[in-house]
Amino acid sequence: MAQEHEFDVWTTRLFNDYLAAPLTNFLTAIGHPPDRPDHPWENWITMELLVVVIILALFAFLRPRLSVDKPGRLQLTFEAIYGFIGSQAQEGITHEHQKYLPFAGTLFIFILFMNLIGIVPGFESPTMTATVPAGIAVAVFLYYNYMGMRSHGVGKYLAHFAGPMPVLAPLMIPIEIISHLARPLSLTIRLFANMFAGEKVTMAFLGLSYLVLPAVFMGLHTFVAFLQAFIFMLLTIIYVGSAVGHEHEEGH
Amino acid sequence: MKIKMLLVLAILFLVAMPIFAQGTAAQTSSPKDWKPVFAGIGMAIASGLCGLGQGKAVAGAAEGMARNPGATAAIRGALILGLVLIESLALYTLVIILIVN
Repeated sequence: MAQEHEFDVWTTRLFNDYLAAPLTNFLTAIGHPPDRPDHPWENWITMELLVVVIILALFAFLRPRLSVDKPGRLQLTFEAIYGFIGSQAQEGITHEHQKYLPFAGTLFIFILFMNLIGIVPGFESPTMTATVPAGIAVAVFLYYNYMGMRSHGVGKYLAHFAGPMPVLAPLMIPIEIISHLARPLSLTIRLFANMFAGEKVTMAFLGLSYLVLPAVFMGLHTFVAFLQAFIFMLLTIIYVGSAVGHEHEEGH
Repeated sequence: MKIKMLLVLAILFLVAMPIFAQGTAAQTSSPKDWKPVFAGIGMAIASGLCGLGQGKAVAGAAEGMARNPGATAAIRGALILGLVLIESLALYTLVIILIVN
């Protein structure tokens, strides 16, 4: 993919002007010096930090306005979002879903904001760079395996890879390992390709005509942004459910 | 009516005059690099098959919702999940094209 056409968003320019040296020193200290020492900040990391600041500001704004008797509109909106995430978690993980709800909910809000911020002119989606979805997918992989091991014990969790009957183990174990490794890969590629293709298609149609056509594709891109955040959360819940929920299968 | 149609055809013909501007130079155009050609063919095949699969998914979902309107929410959930998973298969092809090009 052509890296020469990189365009620095205003936050990246800001960070590179003032904070280039500390990041270069930090990266060199941990053994991965940047290619260009005067330009260590990339678009995706500065946009990610901006999204984190926006989410924190939003929730800091919400928190003092929470009230049991007279909920305002913002509180009702977020209660609806929380109820939605909770119902999805309850369907996917039937047993003790409250424990796994925070991770899935945070993922949903974070990925949703990251996808949507690319639509605002002057900002760029961090999920458009392959690094960001890859990082989130690795986090999901580690999370559901860790939760599975914590729920069942390391030995029993790994023994589930052998399938329903021990005689099938030499066949099932490679299949299970490959399918488990394919999960973060597919999560990454799904999110990255949808966001990247959405932007490229909008740009391509903007090159054709600036009147109505790009707006249609931007609308489609907005819908896809919501959908991809929801699907990421749903797949996380399904993976956690399948890692944690084996207990009930053996009871039957 | 016939005069109007003839007039429209004549105007279209005149507007399309630039087509006749080139065409005298016979170029044996076999492309020097085949990557964009095969990228286009591969992406077209992937998108076409993805369209077929998603069409089958939507058809099944619509029929299910018609038979059992009470289960609409559950069927819609399964439909959205299925569509996104099928869509991602076409997107894998796009990613390979982006990596190779």
